[in-house]
Amino acid sequence: MSASTQPPVLSLSNVVSGYKGLQVLKGISFDIAAGDFVTVVGPNGHGKSTLLKTISGLVPLTSGAIRINGEPAPGKPHAVAGLGVAHVPQGDMLFPEMNVLENLLMGAYLAPSKAEIDRRLDEVYTLLPKLSDRRDQVASSLSGGERRMVGIGRGLMMGGQILLIDEPSLGLAPLIIEQIYGVITELSRSGRTILLVEENPARVADLADHLHLLDDGIIVWSGPPAELLARDELLATYLGG
Amino acid sequence: MLDILTAILIAGLTTGALYALATVGLSLVWGSMGMLNMAHAAMLTLGGYSAFTLCTVLGLPVIVGFAGAILVGAVAGGLLYVLIVRNLLKTDKATFESNVMIATVGIGIALENAILLTYGGQPLKQPISATGSFILGPVSLPYQNMLIVLVVIALMAVIALLLGRTRMGRAIRATAQNREAAQLMGVAVNSVYFQVLVLSGAIAGICGVMVSSMTQLSPPLGNDPMLKAFIMCVVAGLGNLPGAVAAAFGLALLEAFVQYVAGARWGFPTLLFVVIAVLIWRPAGLFGRVQIRRM
Repeated sequence: MSASTQPPVLSLSNVVSGYKGLQVLKGISFDIAAGDFVTVVGPNGHGKSTLLKTISGLVPLTSGAIRINGEPAPGKPHAVAGLGVAHVPQGDMLFPEMNVLENLLMGAYLAPSKAEIDRRLDEVYTLLPKLSDRRDQVASSLSGGERRMVGIGRGLMMGGQILLIDEPSLGLAPLIIEQIYGVITELSRSGRTILLVEENPARVADLADHLHLLDDGIIVWSGPPAELLARDELLATYLGG
Repeated sequence: MLDILTAILIAGLTTGALYALATVGLSLVWGSMGMLNMAHAAMLTLGGYSAFTLCTVLGLPVIVGFAGAILVGAVAGGLLYVLIVRNLLKTDKATFESNVMIATVGIGIALENAILLTYGGQPLKQPISATGSFILGPVSLPYQNMLIVLVVIALMAVIALLLGRTRMGRAIRATAQNREAAQLMGVAVNSVYFQVLVLSGAIAGICGVMVSSMTQLSPPLGNDPMLKAFIMCVVAGLGNLPGAVAAAFGLALLEAFVQYVAGARWGFPTLLFVVIAVLIWRPAGLFGRVQIRRM
C-alpha cells in the first residue's frame, strides 16, 4: 500500500454515463495514484459495476473525462485494454467453450511476444496453482470459485498495471472468498494499482488505501476504510448496517 | 450390390462435401456475429462466375480462375461488411439480427439479377472441372467427385487450424463466445467481424466453383446449396462448425440413400422431415450450444 502522493494513473473527472437514456453515474470524480488500492462500496444497483465498465469502455461516456496515465481514455474497450487496464468483470465472463489455458491465453491477446506470454503464465500459475491443475478443463464445467480465479488469472495475463476488479466475492463461499482476497492482497503487494468494487467494506478494511461510498450514481463519502467502519450512521444509511 | 453402395457413398460424400462447404460459411458468420447472411447464395454464384470469366472469357489458367473466385468472394464479403453490416451493428442485437437478414436478402437479389443481366440466363459450363474416372475393379470413382472431396477436406483442415491455432482464430472464437469479454482482452471485434465475412466470402467463392463444376453455371446456382446449408445449420445447431460439417455429411448420405431407394423426389422432403423432428426433439439442434454450469 502506498500513499497517494504520485501523479494519478487513473483520473475521473465529473464522469456521467449510463444505458439508453438511463443515467447511472451522475458526476463521479476521483484520482488513483500508481500502486494505490482503492475500493468503491455501495448498495446493489447504484452504479458500481457501471463505473468500472465506463472506465474500460464497455459503457460509453456521456460527459466528463477519464484519463489513463495522463492521456484521455480512448473509449473503445480493446483500446483501453491496450493501455494496460485489465478489467476483471462481475460474473466471470469467461469463454465457456475454451479450456482454462485458452482462457488465460486470451488474456495475453495483446502480449508482444511468446516469451512474455510464458512469463505471465508462470506468474499466474505461481499465484494461482490450481489453474495449472485445471488447465485442460473446459471453463463452463468449473466451480464458481475456480471460475473467479480464472477471471483474475486472465486479468493478470493482460499484463496491465491497473486492475479493475468487480465484486470478486459475489456468490462465493467464505473459504473461497478468503482465498480470492489472499490473491488480491498479493497483487496489491506486487505494486499493481487496484480499483475494486465491493458491497461489504469490512472485507477491504485491511487492504484498501482509500474508499469511496457510491450511492445512486454519486460519491457520497470518501476516506480511509477504518473511518467508514466507525461511522455507524453512514453504514446504516447506505449499506444497511 | 457393391457398385450400388459405392454409387450411394460417392454421391453422398460429394454432396456432403459441397453442403459442408456451404454450411461452414454460413455457420461461421452466425456463430461469431449472430448474422444470417442471406446473400451467401449470391456470393457463392459470384465465385462460380468469376472463375468462368477468368478462364473462359479471358483465357487464363485454371489455377488463376480458382484463385480469382476466392479473391472475388473475399472482396464481396469485405464489401458487405464495410458498406452494410458495419452500419447495422450500431443498433441493438435484436434489431441487428432482423435488419441484417432483410438487408442481405436485398443484396442477394440484386447480385443475382446483376449476374443475370451480365451473363444471361442460359446455363454455362464451369471450366474448372476434372473429367474421367479412377477405376478400381468394379468401382468407378469420378475424378471430379474425388477433387471436390479432397478440396473440401483440405479446406476444412485449413479452417480448423486457423480457428484453433492462430491468434486470429482465437479472437474469432472468443468473440463468438463472449463479445464483451473479448473486447476487454483487447480484441477489436469490428476487425474480427470484417475478417469473418472475408473468410466466409472466400469459402463461398470456392463453393461456387465446386458446385458449378458438378452442375452448370446459372444465376440461381447458389440457392439450392444455400437452402440445404440452412437445413444443415439448423440440424447441427446454429453456429456450431464441427456439428455443421457432421450434419452436412450425415444428411447428404441420408439424402443419397433415400433418393436411391424411394426416388429423387423424396430426398428433399426427407431432409425437411429430419429438421422438423430434430427441432421438436432438440430445439437448439443436435450439437447446439447447451452450457453445462456447475453451481
